[in-house]
Amino acid sequence: MRPPGVSQSAADPRAPSTAPLSHLDATLIKNRGGLQLSFCVVALALLHGVIACAGFFAPYSPETQDRDSAYLPPPRLHLVDAQGHLRLRPFFYGYQARGDSFGEWQEDRTKPVSLQFFTSGPRYHLFGLVPCRVHLFGAESGRIYLLGSDAFGRDQLSRILYGGQISLLAGLLGASLTLLVGACVGTTAGYYGGWRDAVLMRLAELFAVLPWLYLLLGLRAFLPLAVSPLEAFLLVILVIGAVGWARPARLVRGMVLSARERDFVRAARGFGASDGYLLRRHILPATSNVLLTQAAILVPQFVLAEMTLSFLGLGVPEPVPSWGNLLANLQQYSVLASYWWMYLPALAIVPFFLGYLGLASALQERDNPYKIPEVSLGRPE
Amino acid sequence: MRYFLRRLGHATLLLFGVSVLTFLFSALAPGSYFDEMQLNPQISRESVAALRAEYQLDRPLPVRYARWVNSLLHGEMGFSFAYNAPVATLLWARAKNTLLLTVIATLLAWAIALPLGIWSAASARRWPDRAVSGLTAALLILPDLVLALGLLILAVRSGWFPTGGMVSLGFEKLSLLQKFRDVAAHMALPVAALVLSSLPVLVRHVRSAIAEVLGAPFLRAAEGHGIPRRRLLYRYALRAAANPLISLFGFSVGALLSGSLVVEVVMSWPGMGPLLLEAILARDVYVVIGGVLLSTFFLVGGNFLADLLLYWADPRIRAEATSR
Amino acid sequence: MSAKAENQPLLRVENIEKRYVRGSLQGSQGEVAALCGVSFSVSPRTTLAIVGESGSGKSTLALCIACLEPPSSGKIWFERRDITSLEERELRMIRPQIQLVFQDPANSLNPRWSVLEIVSEPFILQRRCDRRERQERALALLERVGIPGEKAHQRPDEFSGGQRQRIAIARALALDPKLLILDEALSALDCSVQAQIINLLLELQSSLALTYLLITHDVAVAGHLADQIAVLNGGRLVEIGEAGTVLRAPKHAVTQQLMAAATGSKTSPGVALEV
Repeated sequence: MRPPGVSQSAADPRAPSTAPLSHLDATLIKNRGGLQLSFCVVALALLHGVIACAGFFAPYSPETQDRDSAYLPPPRLHLVDAQGHLRLRPFFYGYQARGDSFGEWQEDRTKPVSLQFFTSGPRYHLFGLVPCRVHLFGAESGRIYLLGSDAFGRDQLSRILYGGQISLLAGLLGASLTLLVGACVGTTAGYYGGWRDAVLMRLAELFAVLPWLYLLLGLRAFLPLAVSPLEAFLLVILVIGAVGWARPARLVRGMVLSARERDFVRAARGFGASDGYLLRRHILPATSNVLLTQAAILVPQFVLAEMTLSFLGLGVPEPVPSWGNLLANLQQYSVLASYWWMYLPALAIVPFFLGYLGLASALQERDNPYKIPEVSLGRPE
Repeated sequence: MRYFLRRLGHATLLLFGVSVLTFLFSALAPGSYFDEMQLNPQISRESVAALRAEYQLDRPLPVRYARWVNSLLHGEMGFSFAYNAPVATLLWARAKNTLLLTVIATLLAWAIALPLGIWSAASARRWPDRAVSGLTAALLILPDLVLALGLLILAVRSGWFPTGGMVSLGFEKLSLLQKFRDVAAHMALPVAALVLSSLPVLVRHVRSAIAEVLGAPFLRAAEGHGIPRRRLLYRYALRAAANPLISLFGFSVGALLSGSLVVEVVMSWPGMGPLLLEAILARDVYVVIGGVLLSTFFLVGGNFLADLLLYWADPRIRAEATSR
Repeated sequence: MSAKAENQPLLRVENIEKRYVRGSLQGSQGEVAALCGVSFSVSPRTTLAIVGESGSGKSTLALCIACLEPPSSGKIWFERRDITSLEERELRMIRPQIQLVFQDPANSLNPRWSVLEIVSEPFILQRRCDRRERQERALALLERVGIPGEKAHQRPDEFSGGQRQRIAIARALALDPKLLILDEALSALDCSVQAQIINLLLELQSSLALTYLLITHDVAVAGHLADQIAVLNGGRLVEIGEAGTVLRAPKHAVTQQLMAAATGSKTSPGVALEV
C-alpha cells in the first residue's frame, strides 16, 4: 500500500513541467497567484501567436533550398559600417567561401546587405486562409539566414517557426486526446464504480507502470513506419495521446468520487435528477480545475514527446519541419562539431516550457492555496 | 513475509498484464520484418514464406503469445530476425550497460538531491533556498533532449570528454585501472545528462517533504532539547520524511529509465535504447516486445525495491502488514 | 373521508434494515448493520424527532426514507404506497413529496452556483414551468425564508450559516413537499441562529401543512419542535412516544442518559426545554 502524498502526484507522466516554481516566482515576481497566472497566460498567448503567424515572422518558406548556401552560420549584425558610418538599418555582410575548403565561410566586407522590415517576400497563407506577402523582415538582396542555414541551404529561422506549428499542434492535440480519454475513463470509473472501476483502474495501472518513452516507442513501432507527413502527424498525436491518460484518469476519478458524495448531488437526485444531469451539471464542472491544471502540465510534455519521436526518426518526416526532425542531423558527428547553430531549434521549446510551467504552478497554487504545492516527477516512469 | 509475497505477486501480475498488452499492440503492426525481403527480387516468394512459417509469424496471436511465453521460460524471450539470435542474449548484453548508467545516475542524483533539498528546506526563504530554487527552475525548463544535445555539443567543442560509445579503441589492451578510467570517462556525459535532468524534481520533492516535517511539533521539541542541527535534519527530519521520499525513489527509477533511452541514443551509449530504436526501424518485433518488457521489469523492480525499503523504514507499515 | 385521511399516517416505516459491507484490501471483514428492524409511523402535519448519538444510524434512516439509499430489507409506506418497491420512473413522481434538508449547507449547496440557480434547480428537474416562472417562484421561495431578492445572484459562500440553511430549506420547499426530513439541519448552527430557524420551521409547518421528520442529537431542539420523539441506539429504535412523556419520563436507559446529558449541559439561552 503506497502512503499518500508524493506518490499521487509523482506519477505524473513526463513532467519536467509540473514542479511548481514557488521559488522562481519569488525571485521573478513579487506577487504570486493571480499575477503569475495572468503573466503566464499572456506570455504563452504571445508565444503561440508568433508561431501561429509563422508566415509573417519567418522571412522565407521552410522548403526553399539553396544548395550553394549550405551550412551558413548566423550572420553578425552591424550598425556601423567599414567606413565608420552609422547606418539606419542593421546590416550584415554576405558570405564568401574561405579558401578552397568546403563549408568554411568568412564575411565578405565588400558586400553589406541591409535588413528590411515589413518587406514583401514569398507568398504564404496566414492561418492557412489569408494569402499574404508581407514578412516582418527580409534582406535587401539575397537571403538572410538569421539563425544559419542547414545542409540544403534552408533558412533555420523559418524552419523553426514553421516547425513550431507542427510540434505545438501535436502537443496540443495530443494533450486534448489524453485528457478526453482520461476524463471519460476517470468519470466512468468514479461515478459508476463496481467492476467498471476495477477494470479501468487496473488498466490504468498497467499503462502507468510502463516507462512512458518505451510505451511511446512501442506503440509507434507497431504502426506503419513509412507514411506521408500528414499520416505521420496524426499517428504521432494518436500515440502520444494514448500514452498519458492513466494519470488524468486517476485524478478525475478522485474528483468524481468526492463530488459524487456531496450533498448537493444527493439533493439533486432527490429532485429526480438522472445520471446524465448529475454528471453534466454538478460532477464534471468540479473536475474542470484538475483538467485545466493537467492540460498545463501535459502540453509541454507532449510537445517534447513529438520532438523526441521526430528526432528518433519515428515522427514527422522530412521535408516537413518539426522541432524534432530539425535536430535529427545532430546525430552526425560532423554536424555537431562544426555547425553549432543547428542546435538552436532545441532551445525553441524552452520559453514554452517556462510559460507552461509557470501556468501549471499558478494553477496548482490556486487549487491548493493552503498546502505546500505538490511537486511532480520530471519524467513519467 | 506475507507483505513481501503480496507485493511480489502484484508485481508479477503487472508484468504479465504488460506482456499481454504489448503483444496485443504488436498485432496492430501491419508490416513485418520480412516485408523488406519481399521487395528484394533476388529472394523468392517461397523462401520468404518459408521463413515466415519458420518464425511462426503466420500463426494466430494466442499461439504466438504462448510460444513466446514458452521461450521466455526457457530464457530466450523470442528470436531476433535482424541479429539472428535469441532476444534475451541481445537484450542482456545491452541491459547491463543501461543498468550501469541508470544505477549510477540514480545514486548520484539522490546523493546530490538529498543534501541540497534538506539545506534548501532548512534555510527556507533565505538566499540558499532561493539559489537552489533558481537552479532547479533553470534545469526544469531544459528538457532532457535539449540537455543531452547541449552537453554533447559542449563536449565536442571542448574536447574534454569522449563523445560516444562506452569504450575507446584498443580497450582490450588496457590495464584494469585504465579500463575503469576509460569507461568512467565515457560515462561522464550520459550520467551528467541524466543526473541534471532528474535533479530538479528530486530536489523539489525532498525540499517539500522536509519542509513539511520541519514544522512538526516533535521536531521543535527535539530542537528544544538542544540536539545539534545537523543531527536534527538528517536523523530526525529525514527519517520522518522518508515515506514520500522512498515512493519517489521508486518512481525516479522509472523516470531515469525513460530518460536513459534518449540519452543513450544521443550519446551513442550501447544500451537498450539504441537497440530498441534499431529494432523498431527494422520491425524486429520480438526485440521490441522484449525491450519494452525488460524496461517495465526494471521499473516494477524499482518500485518493488521501494516497497521493501518502505517496509523496513516505516514501522506503521510493518504493523499494518503483520496485523492482517 | 378527510377525517379518515387525517388518521392515516403519512409515513410508515416497517422493519427497516440496512447493512453495509465493510470492505478492506483483505476482502470483506464482515457487514455492519446500520439499521436493525426499525419501525414507526408519522401522522400528517406533525413532527417526529429521531434522537440518538452519532453512529446510531440516524442519517442512514434519513437517506432510506428519502429514497436515496435502498434499505437492505423492510418496507416504507408513504401515503399508503409502498415506495420501496417502486421503479425509478414511478419513484420520480413521489420524490417531490419527500424532501431532505442536510446538515451542512456548505456541502449541500453547490458552491459554484448562485443562490437563485440553486433554488430553481428543482423546477428545472421536474420541468414544470418556463424560465420566467421559475425565476419568480424561486425568488418567492427565497423571500419566504427571509432571503431578499437582491441577493439572489450571490454565491452561497457570501451568506452566513443560518442564511445558507434557509436557502436549503427554500430549495426543499420548491416542489411543495408533504414530508420534510431535517437531517441534523440545525446542528451546524449557533444557538441563536437555531432559534430563528426553529421559528421559521414552525411557521412553515403551520402555513404549508408540512410534516417533519427531525433527526438530531440535540434533545433540546427535539423538545422544541417535536410532537413525538423516537430514540435510536445502535441502529435500533429503543423508545418512542409522545414528546412530553419521553422528555420527562424516559423509560429506556439510553433515553435516560440522553436526557440527563441534555439537562446537565448548558441549554441555549432562550430555548428552554419546552413541551
